[in-house]
Amino acid sequence: MAVTRERLTRALAPKVVAVIGDKKASGYNWLRSLKPFVGPLYSVQVDENEIPGIEELGIPNYKSLTDIPEKVDFAVCAVPRQVAPFIVQGCVDADVGGVTLFTSGFAETGEDIGVELQQKVFDIADPAGLALIGPNCMGLHVPGLGVRFNRDQPEGVQGNIGFVSQSGTHGMNFSLTGAAHGLYCSTLVSFGNGIILEAADYLEYMADDPQTEVIGMYIEGARDGRRLFKTLREVAAKKPVIIWKGGQTEGGGRAIRSHTASLASDQAIWEAMIKQVGAVAVHNLDEMIDVIKATLLTKRTQGNRLGLVAMTGGQSVVLTDAFEKEGWKVPTLSDDSYAQLSEFFNIIGGSYRNPLDAAGTIGQDPKHLDTIFDILNEDENIDAVGMELSATFMARRWQDKPEEFDRLITSLKKFMSESDKPFLAALHPSHQEEAALTARLRLQEEGIPTFPSFERAANALRKASTLAAV
Amino acid sequence: MTAEVIAAARAEQRTLLSEVEAKQLLAEAGVNVTETRLATSIDEAAAHAAELGYPVALKVVSDSITHKTDVGGVELGVADEAALRDAYLRIHERVTAAAPNADVQGVSVQPMAEAGAEVILGITQDQQFGPVLMFGLGGVFVEVLKDVAFRIVPLEPRDASEMVREIQGFPVLEGFRGTPAANLDAIESMLLKLSEFAEANPEIAELDLNPVFARPDGAVAVDARILLTAES
Repeated sequence: MAVTRERLTRALAPKVVAVIGDKKASGYNWLRSLKPFVGPLYSVQVDENEIPGIEELGIPNYKSLTDIPEKVDFAVCAVPRQVAPFIVQGCVDADVGGVTLFTSGFAETGEDIGVELQQKVFDIADPAGLALIGPNCMGLHVPGLGVRFNRDQPEGVQGNIGFVSQSGTHGMNFSLTGAAHGLYCSTLVSFGNGIILEAADYLEYMADDPQTEVIGMYIEGARDGRRLFKTLREVAAKKPVIIWKGGQTEGGGRAIRSHTASLASDQAIWEAMIKQVGAVAVHNLDEMIDVIKATLLTKRTQGNRLGLVAMTGGQSVVLTDAFEKEGWKVPTLSDDSYAQLSEFFNIIGGSYRNPLDAAGTIGQDPKHLDTIFDILNEDENIDAVGMELSATFMARRWQDKPEEFDRLITSLKKFMSESDKPFLAALHPSHQEEAALTARLRLQEEGIPTFPSFERAANALRKASTLAAV
Repeated sequence: MTAEVIAAARAEQRTLLSEVEAKQLLAEAGVNVTETRLATSIDEAAAHAAELGYPVALKVVSDSITHKTDVGGVELGVADEAALRDAYLRIHERVTAAAPNADVQGVSVQPMAEAGAEVILGITQDQQFGPVLMFGLGGVFVEVLKDVAFRIVPLEPRDASEMVREIQGFPVLEGFRGTPAANLDAIESMLLKLSEFAEANPEIAELDLNPVFARPDGAVAVDARILLTAES
């Protein structure tokens, strides 16, 4: 029986949450992670030795799901695999909305007992329409509701990224690394073996979820590739979708007799599929974060001509190289722009051809940056604007004189609000890693997309530009 | 016709269709192929050639021969009936020498197609996504550089248009060093027809149209290979 949308919504946006079988040996990880949950949180544990530790956390414990005085929408189950079928039956009996089966040791082991137990769990959950997440997964993270599976994950912040991950680690790393970039999830699901709910189910939910503006997915393989293909086609028409495909599926081992079959590698087919549905492919966590960042925080342009603002001549050159390598053009500006720039630009140790080597000019008077932005905004040879923020020169100054950093942020935000042209910044950490991280997080929180290198900025803007503005 | 051809192959426990059979299926699906007929004697070959018009190409037809040129089983540009009779005998002699145990059904006769840019179109089955289509430039581009584009069936017109332009060698199709520009609409339309063909015939495990001659006035498949799935 298919899981209804109502049931899925109860599971993914729960009002009441329970944790079944958390233990001291695992540091009560689930209960501690879920402590910030905005609604009632319960524990279910029968072991008398474990109960005092749970009660010390201030979380009420019951011996059975059915003893809990209200209906549970979402449960986390961390019991040994042999017990899993009984717990899943308990969830069905108590009309739980959905359950995450953190437990592993099922079909992924290839062992008969694992395959058998997984079938048992399926046979109980499927006819009941239970929204079962997993098994062999980390489950659900909804920072806005304080739902977490790791204590370092953010809470109390409403994110706008939907993330679907076949792997628990990559789901967790996305939420943690993303937060360090000021990027937060609306809903993140790590779905593991996906025996009841698979990637397509979560994608459909996120496509309709008003909090979700962009969707990222880490996937290794699809049980029903046809359905995933059709679903992605529909979802990518509604929201930008960014896909990271991990691993290579083995071929069928059949004798191949045509050119076509011999060339159809797993990677070639996935890349084609991603293109065909209107999504964009990325190949690692950093690129996932970069492209999501650019998708959320930069405007879209059909053009490919950049105006670049750099701090030194050397950086002007490599900044241009990095963007041109990704297919961007760095053209000369209009005569009108040059006429205006010649009136105030400091050409001693600087240049305004494009890139604009502008440190001296901005140092002379910070207002010059606003003027430069105004000129680039008006220039019809320019479709988008990129800027180098130099950690080497600025990190210490920003720490000593935070008002200078504030002033820079005001200028950047002014340009971003007044111009239809995409804007992005590159802040290479140089020898000031900590200062650069602090500065980057601040910029991100102000809505200014900032990347750790020119290459990452150029790639992110290109990939985000291939996504339709939906 | 398609069902009968497939049923006949199944009855003989064959998964590889002959070029003649493959082209029958494709022609019925609206894919432009050179008309190809099976001859089991010299006189029959001469009669086919007279109807199809010279010059013609002759190719050995055999389940047990994968690469026809390797056994000397191909004669191209056969100009008239006298040449045809010689060519037919030459194929017979060479194939008998190179592959004495091969089960030979006969020789196929087809008119020589006017050359154009050589492209390859194909179908294969992906374990996860089902039927997929491939497009690439023929010869060294596909074999060495693997410069090909894939799409999952069913294709929309936009998909066909994008996959033709996606390959690195696309400028060759726009006209290059004296080669006239290929008719891209004709290639795209062939891709869309193949997409329908793959969707309607899940028993097609693999298909190569290699080469297809892409000319300014259209595109035509001059060789075709179809492999059926192991079970019906």
